[in-house]
Amino acid sequence: MDVQAPQGPEVAIRLILVLVALLGLAYLGGLPAVQRLERRLRIAQLVTAGFPFVALGIVLGLPSVGILTESVLSTLSPLLGFGLGWIGFSAGFRLDVRELDDLPKGTARAVGFATALPFVLVVASVGLFLLVTSDWSRLDLSNPDFLRGALLLGTAGATTAPQAARLLGEAGREQRMLLRLEELAGMVGMAFIAAFFRPRGESIGWQLPDTAWLFLTVGLGGVLGVLACVVLQRATGPAESVLLLLGTVAFGAGFGSRLYLAPMVVCFVAGVFLSNVPGEHRRRLREALERLERPIYLLFLVAVGAMWNFGDWRGWALLPFFVVARLCGKWLAEKLIRKTTDLAPDGDHWMARRAPVGQLSIAIVVSALLLFPNGEIPILETAVIGGAVVTELLAQVFARNRTRARPSLALGVEP
Amino acid sequence: MNLLIVLALVGLMHAARTFDAGGAHATTLAFGFVLLAAFFAGRIFASLRLPKLTGYIATGIAVGPAVLGLLSPELIHDLEIVDGVAIAMIALTAGNELDLRAFRPLLRSIQWITLWAVIGTALLLGAAVFAMQGLLPFFDRLSLLPALAVALVMGVVMSAQSPAVVVALRDEMEADGPMSRTVLGVVVIADLVVILLFAATSSLAQSVIGAPGDFSDTLSLLTWEILGSLTSGVLVGAIIAAYLRFVGRNGALFVVTVCFVAAEVGSRLHFDPLLVALAAGVLIRNATRQGDVLQAQIELASLPVYVVFFAVAGAHIDLRLLASVALPATAIVAVRGIGLVLGSRIGAHLAGSPEVVKRWAGFGLLPQAGLALALAALFVKTFPEFGAEARALVLGVVALNELVAPAIYRWALVRSGEAGRREAAEAVAELVEEAQPAA
Repeated sequence: MDVQAPQGPEVAIRLILVLVALLGLAYLGGLPAVQRLERRLRIAQLVTAGFPFVALGIVLGLPSVGILTESVLSTLSPLLGFGLGWIGFSAGFRLDVRELDDLPKGTARAVGFATALPFVLVVASVGLFLLVTSDWSRLDLSNPDFLRGALLLGTAGATTAPQAARLLGEAGREQRMLLRLEELAGMVGMAFIAAFFRPRGESIGWQLPDTAWLFLTVGLGGVLGVLACVVLQRATGPAESVLLLLGTVAFGAGFGSRLYLAPMVVCFVAGVFLSNVPGEHRRRLREALERLERPIYLLFLVAVGAMWNFGDWRGWALLPFFVVARLCGKWLAEKLIRKTTDLAPDGDHWMARRAPVGQLSIAIVVSALLLFPNGEIPILETAVIGGAVVTELLAQVFARNRTRARPSLALGVEP
Repeated sequence: MNLLIVLALVGLMHAARTFDAGGAHATTLAFGFVLLAAFFAGRIFASLRLPKLTGYIATGIAVGPAVLGLLSPELIHDLEIVDGVAIAMIALTAGNELDLRAFRPLLRSIQWITLWAVIGTALLLGAAVFAMQGLLPFFDRLSLLPALAVALVMGVVMSAQSPAVVVALRDEMEADGPMSRTVLGVVVIADLVVILLFAATSSLAQSVIGAPGDFSDTLSLLTWEILGSLTSGVLVGAIIAAYLRFVGRNGALFVVTVCFVAAEVGSRLHFDPLLVALAAGVLIRNATRQGDVLQAQIELASLPVYVVFFAVAGAHIDLRLLASVALPATAIVAVRGIGLVLGSRIGAHLAGSPEVVKRWAGFGLLPQAGLALALAALFVKTFPEFGAEARALVLGVVALNELVAPAIYRWALVRSGEAGRREAAEAVAELVEEAQPAA
């Protein structure tokens, strides 16, 4: 019970409208007919399920709607840090290092091409764009914001959505591991950026060399992995597993953020540790993750949508630079992979396999938003979220055209 | 091992605090820390045969500003976002358990106990506060009649119970039976009764002392709160039931989201999240077939919310303030306890309740938390001249009850034989279900 004066009935009407909208969205998503349609159209995660939640966040955050107001958003901002930790932890837990022993020859080269080439092209084009559009009078070459922004988008552009492998069905199994390794490369890139472009000043404790922060990121992830392992082994039921998992991820993400490290990298390391230490906890953890992964990700997207500052035209102008440079890099990588390895058996599907921008890319740019709140990060966010939609649409169009032209290449149905 | 984990968490938290003075990211860290530390502290308390809930509250006190200072007041304020969700979820659970058909045989007991224990204790506490005028300096400014009226209002405020603690303990102890059901019914009804009594007594006091607060304002606020909360609760209940019936997928997430939205927007509309969710729960249980589905969804999502909620409640306890009002607060806690236990026995006796209700139900009325604090805040607004001093006393009483009452109710649940009965009843039901197809 509060003692502030009551607001008008319009807030109640809005509340009901929001609840009805959520209900409608969930109802539509849950209809068997819609799910069948999704499977038939082979539409991946972002557009069908994720993007409506970003859109919902945008709508709820509009001043005229007034539900996710600035005060509510400020209260909800920890959800972003937690969501980042969650995404990192899930990605880490999916990486079983034992699978690395059975990788076909040329995998390292393929991952190198698939990540390095888009990275280089995106950094070059985006760096140029940011340099041209930046305020030259404030340009500080000792800590260049444009370079940091370009490296961030390069890292975000290097990875591919894991759902891309699902688009390929049976043929995508081999690719799934490559995409996980791309995620690993993205994490390494994010760890470097967070370590070498740290906020500086008297108010920041623990004055250490930049390289030390890199080691600290891995070390902290390892410590949290050990702690999580001990903690999660003590769960006695599903409700306790959920609690301990939520607590572990929040603690890890919060600890990383507190030290201005990338929370998702810290949690990624903890996830990899947990995934590769034998024990009963892995089954329980997998069950809890399956239960929570998607709901938390969708809530994260609502928060991302509500906090997305998409009004700056530079973000939309940057979007084609980012998408084109990334696709050129992926296309070039595909050519080189096919020429030098046996890992690209079906060249017709390169767009479906390489193009979609995934949740990790969005997470990288949101992570940067939390680490470097003052700067050009909001325009990078626009480029990545917009890029995610554009690249997925491109992947769908190309994949479907190829299937129509050559039915023998029909894509596998999403599991 | 549980203790070692708590110590390791405290050590890591302390290390993180040495990094800088604050920062926007600290809330996530604090949330994770409180969740893990309170959970394992709860286990330590359980091994000592104390309620886990008391362990959560004790963790909050230990890590809060009063003792270790690992959580700053700002961080505690940030964590309060869980409060609204927790209260709404607890009330949804309570409402969903109020199956009116099953409660019909207990209604007579609930009515008499509410009358004797709740209303009787409010009067007794009023008399006790009036008798302790010498220990309460703000009474010096009041003549006889206004002092009597203000004492009555304070008696009503301090007689409030806590459905949250009752539901949480009932879940923790897997308790079921006539006593725990009667207690649940009484605390839910008492919530409404205390709000109405506060409206009546505070308006009476205002007219007696001619306080600057606006009587009609207070009355309209309370009317709006009760009627608005119940109406919106019916709407929220209908929406949840429709979701569970037609969608079903990710039900736990939907329920948590609805609780969050209802709590956030409800508080801005001056609705009571407790009443909103209570009405929603009662509707779902009694007017739809989704009651069991809702219970299953809440069970999955509620534990983390409860743990943080009670730990934050503990972190709010100001030990220095408690020390300054220790004497009157202890006396009032004792009077309240005697009033509730005796009143409950008289009520149960008059209603012809089962022996277990007569003996133990009064102990379930002792827990106290949110409603008393909310009414204390309203008291400050209604009587701005001395409300703040009176509020300190209420905070002291609530703090003592938060620490002591859960352990007493746990003891009562164990002694009454109702602890663990829900688990046994469910196991029997499962066996019957398994046996039926075979037959």
